[in-house]
Amino acid sequence: MLQPWNKNGLTVAERLQAEGISRRGFLKFCATTASMMALSPSMVPAIARALENAKRPSVIWLSFQECTGCTESLTRSHSPNLETLILEQVSLDYHHTLQVASGEAAEEAREAAMKENNGRYLVVVDGSIPVDNGGVYSTIAGITNLEMLRETAEGAAAIIAVGTCAAFGGIGYAKPNPTGAMPVSAIISDKPVINVSGCPPIPTVISGVLAHFLTFDKLPEVDDLGRPITFFGQSIHDRCYRRPFYDRGLFAESFDDEGAKKGWCLYRLGCKGPATYNACATTKWNEGTSFPIEAGHPCLGCSEPDFWDMGGFYQPLSTPTGDVTRTLVYGVVAGALIGAAAGSMARTRKIKAQKEHYKVTTDDLEESS
Amino acid sequence: MSTPAERATNAFKEQIDGPIASYLSSCVHCGMCAHACLFYTETEDPRYTPINKVEPLRRVWKSEYTFFGKLASKFGLTKSVTDELLKEWELLIYDACTLCGRCSMVCPVGNDIAYMIRKTREGMIAAGYAPRGLKDATYRAVTVGSPMGVKLPALKAQIKHVEKDTGLKVPLDVEGADYMALLSSMEIMNFPEYIEALTRLFDKAGVSWTLCSEAFEATNSGMQIGSSDIEGELIQRIVDGAEKLKVKYVISPECGHAYYALRWEGPNVIGKKYPFEVVHILELLDQLRAQGKLKVEGKLDQKLTFHDPCQIVRKGGVVDEPRRLLNMVSSNFVEMEDAGVMNWCCGGGGGVSANERAEPLKLTVFNRKKSQLEKLGVNTMVTACANCRINLEEGIEHTNMDVEVVGLAETLAEHLAD
Repeated sequence: MLQPWNKNGLTVAERLQAEGISRRGFLKFCATTASMMALSPSMVPAIARALENAKRPSVIWLSFQECTGCTESLTRSHSPNLETLILEQVSLDYHHTLQVASGEAAEEAREAAMKENNGRYLVVVDGSIPVDNGGVYSTIAGITNLEMLRETAEGAAAIIAVGTCAAFGGIGYAKPNPTGAMPVSAIISDKPVINVSGCPPIPTVISGVLAHFLTFDKLPEVDDLGRPITFFGQSIHDRCYRRPFYDRGLFAESFDDEGAKKGWCLYRLGCKGPATYNACATTKWNEGTSFPIEAGHPCLGCSEPDFWDMGGFYQPLSTPTGDVTRTLVYGVVAGALIGAAAGSMARTRKIKAQKEHYKVTTDDLEESS
Repeated sequence: MSTPAERATNAFKEQIDGPIASYLSSCVHCGMCAHACLFYTETEDPRYTPINKVEPLRRVWKSEYTFFGKLASKFGLTKSVTDELLKEWELLIYDACTLCGRCSMVCPVGNDIAYMIRKTREGMIAAGYAPRGLKDATYRAVTVGSPMGVKLPALKAQIKHVEKDTGLKVPLDVEGADYMALLSSMEIMNFPEYIEALTRLFDKAGVSWTLCSEAFEATNSGMQIGSSDIEGELIQRIVDGAEKLKVKYVISPECGHAYYALRWEGPNVIGKKYPFEVVHILELLDQLRAQGKLKVEGKLDQKLTFHDPCQIVRKGGVVDEPRRLLNMVSSNFVEMEDAGVMNWCCGGGGGVSANERAEPLKLTVFNRKKSQLEKLGVNTMVTACANCRINLEEGIEHTNMDVEVVGLAETLAEHLAD
């Protein structure tokens, strides 16, 4: 991924050519990006022009309390593809998993990039930030994640929180959260933060957000959880190819029953698709090959906040997640009492009406009536 | 004395029960019932959407039985039942509904809309808002004993004719017979061949039966106009007659709503169990067929079809019986589109045929049956309801079609083996 940056003299067109990608292929990518981001087709030339002429912004990638899955997701491509090329349009000045430099040299690269591009660089964060006890639970080069984030964010143009840990806290934030892990948005409030959630997020979504930033110099429109609305606007359930089975009430009840073999809906096996917003069902994974539900496994809901604490992965959505027995008992008793009271009131009303019954006789049927 | 609107409101309160409350609260306003109703499909008038016909009942439910409705009515924000509303809805509830129940079959949330319209009629008649023709018919049913004003001497005259034609005795007031047969006035006056058919079929099958001079009328205008009081009074006459003759079964004739009133609503409106069983003539004939007591010979080879009377097919589930019987005597029986439980109404049920005001509308909606028949290209249609029969004949006459309508029992009787 980290390219020898002495290629800087090359234009995008030249670079693409060198990688064996035709201009036609590049325009196709621009068109796909435009449609993916729900932009008008007239924007395609604008995207192409912007990407061609874009000044390579400096990107500082900070990996905190995480598993490197997000980086894996982004770099997992079998051949150089357009997503990687887009990444080449950025100057990835610091990424401690990928960079060659180590130790002091690595930290110097970060500091140099911050100084040189002050106010213009992008910060990508993956992993949550532990804040308890001064943030001692995760440090890099002796600097706590908390301190590094604050310091790096100060001169940033925008921050992209990649992955559910950075976006919503993820597994570090899950109960009992021993390190006091926090998402980026809980710490940084004075900079635009966009959440590209998912465990891991879809590579196309990361590159799409980057493409948008390169083209328009700003982050795309977001939903109420700060996620780009074009990718997180619809639930997995709404776009799921198994949806017709749900609508007809055909459910797999176990992983090896007839229903599972016939590809019926996995709702009763704990699928969180109805409550999960992401692009898996349309964009899919591994270069559009498949996605979990297509492979026969329920959606875990990984792009949603608190997905680790939403009860068992194999518990259907309608099953309560906590210990609700007591509340339930009170609720049932109260409900029954209210119901009985309402019922008896309704009955009283009906009995009263029956007492006042008007008997229809032949008098009512005659002409004068 | 309370005002008509108050009487209607009180009657609606009496009628709102668990099912009605759950139906009204679960309606999703999908409009599927509109497309199931021939009054809508043939006119495309949205007022004829079945669920819209229960608006007066819905208003009372909303303001009396729902939280927000009760809250709103405290502030005087709810719409109450007014004379104007009842007057307007009389045309929808009586003229544009045959209680055929097709809407209930298609409702995706399972609302029995026809049942609600039947209940809404209770309030309408309590307030006096019902069509003149239906009021007159009901008046005659209570005072004379028949909506068409048929009295015992007329029946006796027909019996005499039948006895002369068949050479058989028509049993009248035979105590201890197994079956007591009922008739509809329409059969006595327009289709006496039904009485003849019964006489011959039962003679051959060895059925012990009788007519009752005090309870021969099966039709129930009280049910059609929507008054449980009058419906109960008419049902009670049949119960008294059956008890007096100590019969085990009462046979509902070839009449749709009579069957519905007698078999399903009767015990509820009189508030007690019958000391006998009610059986529809088609059910009995099919039973005799199964027992090998119904022997026929010769088959009609002309193309013919069967019109399902709504109350018999949808309320009674009598679907296969007429088909098994018809196939005994026909070699070219064809089904019309939507045959069986989803068949379309003749357009004159539920009191519409007694309502002169509704005649133009009734003839308009007959187009549905007309197109069903035209697709088949038949010249003979068999049915098992005298009211359907007269309605179909009227429609056929009006549209200059060449189709003969016959009753099922008489068709069977014509083929009885010697």
